[in-house]
Amino acid sequence: MFHSRAEALALALPAAVFAAVIFLAPVVILLSEGLRNADSWTISAYTGFLSDPLNRTVFLRTLKLGAMVTALAAVIGYAAAFAIVNLPAKGKGRMIGLVVLPLMISPVARTYAWIVILGRTGIVNQALTSIGLTDEPVRFLFTETAVFVGLLQLFLPLMILALISALENMPKDAIPAARVLGANWFQVFSRVILPLTREGLVIGGTLVFTGSLTAYITPAILGGSKILMLETLLYQRVTVANDFVSASVIAFILIVMSFAANLLLKRLATARSKR
Amino acid sequence: MKKILLASSALLLIGTHAASAEEKTLTISVYGFAQDAFKELVYDPFEAKCGCKLVVETGNSVERLAKMEANKANPVVDMAVVSMADALSAGRSGLIDKIDTSKLSNFNKLYDVARDPNGDGMSVGYTFYATSIVYRSDKVEVTSWADLLGDKLAGHVALPNVTTNQGPPTLYMIGEAIGQNTPDLKGAITAVGEKKDDIVTFYVKSSQLVQLMQQEEIWAAPIGRFSWEGFTKMDLPVKWATPKEGQTGGMNVMVLTKGSKNQDLALQFMDYWLSTEIQTALAEKLVDSPANKEVKVSPEIAENLTYGEETVRSLKLIPSAVALDNREAWLSEWNAKVGQ
Repeated sequence: MFHSRAEALALALPAAVFAAVIFLAPVVILLSEGLRNADSWTISAYTGFLSDPLNRTVFLRTLKLGAMVTALAAVIGYAAAFAIVNLPAKGKGRMIGLVVLPLMISPVARTYAWIVILGRTGIVNQALTSIGLTDEPVRFLFTETAVFVGLLQLFLPLMILALISALENMPKDAIPAARVLGANWFQVFSRVILPLTREGLVIGGTLVFTGSLTAYITPAILGGSKILMLETLLYQRVTVANDFVSASVIAFILIVMSFAANLLLKRLATARSKR
Repeated sequence: MKKILLASSALLLIGTHAASAEEKTLTISVYGFAQDAFKELVYDPFEAKCGCKLVVETGNSVERLAKMEANKANPVVDMAVVSMADALSAGRSGLIDKIDTSKLSNFNKLYDVARDPNGDGMSVGYTFYATSIVYRSDKVEVTSWADLLGDKLAGHVALPNVTTNQGPPTLYMIGEAIGQNTPDLKGAITAVGEKKDDIVTFYVKSSQLVQLMQQEEIWAAPIGRFSWEGFTKMDLPVKWATPKEGQTGGMNVMVLTKGSKNQDLALQFMDYWLSTEIQTALAEKLVDSPANKEVKVSPEIAENLTYGEETVRSLKLIPSAVALDNREAWLSEWNAKVGQ
């Protein structure tokens, strides 16, 4: 018979070993590639990468797109989650089912669907022509807008789900109480809802941001490869240039960006609640 | 607990030892496509014939080459199939051996271009494909690679991304057409960059092109012959261009791992794959176009392959050394002129 602490450790050991061997070790090996040249340790790969103006442009573009997708997902996500939580039980279940449904479909299939929807003969252009807004089909496909829409649709469900569970955990009478005390809807949101659901926002925001940063197929297919992103650059380094050093540098930058986003969101959420 | 662990690892050791002693094993490394057909037409019959076991590793060429590099001192794979340029790269890094073609009874049946594509004696071509332009014949007429950047196709054409297999060959031919065909492809990449807004998309997956053509997004795109069948099944008038500068394409080759303990068996396998019987079977299933010139197929089959002496001879392939030595420069040139 083990003491309880030893027993707990023993129980956690298999999972910890598994994670360390299968996940952590490869990541460490991969990242160390970027810090080595022939026989010594160096950060020259990093300084070299960041000193190239093209790489900096690509970095900023990726950051901007990820931030925009996350921000809009949060806005839409709050509205949708709020509406869903206030539905009667039966309707709520159905709506959550609808939110989850896209997650069960491959991202590739969902991206291809946008080619049909946004195309010259797609429903968006058909609608625009039939109400007389335009004579010639508008070019949506293969623009930054298309990538934005594609990424938003891809990751919005994660935000909605995270916010639904956060809103569910909020005391039911918090909002009426705030209203009774004279708060307007903006105050209710910023002083009551946001602080009480910040965990959900942090989780949802991190998932959406990380997802947008690392999605490869959506920018590649909907962006028409006219706009380089960090993930397309990473793909180039590996598949064409066979350059695992730069690839590992880009991978590290992407990992840092994800962690930074998570920390930033946490900071923002706590700053609000302290006010 | 300790005892169980010991016992199970001992069992594991015995198990692997027994398997290796039992029969000869040949490990091959191939592209992960059409494996069901390869199993039925090539692998299973070869196993029956040689009384050996075939272990098949699949993946894209980058993964597979990285693996070979990692196992250089103690090779796992005995033979591999890769692209012409990758074969040269493997040869330069000392991963592969010269092929003793006197042990290949079918060697003399191969087209000349397939016999020693890189001139280093380290590879033998087993299949190739033509790359040309598929186009809507009711909308335009394509007679030159320069037409891709012309006024008639402006806003109606897709080009392959430089990272795809079709990318560099297409740029190579555009360079040829505009009279600026240098190995760095600068002229062609600049020309494409200037017309960037007239190109609908720089595709990464050729599978999306059929959909784009069906939706009238594009009227033309350079493709490999292996993608042609999908276009003929649309209810649209499409044609395969025969540009005046010629067609381009690519070739896949077989290589022999340096230090492999099963080189003789690997050569037997290569010879089997190159035989008229197997090359015909693969051609009839539209898996691979034959490199063996004795292969005869019906016109309907030939239509979907890269077939016949004349076609093969007219292909303008990028020399492997050019591709290998310039890949990096093509990428940065492309990123600067097109990817911004």
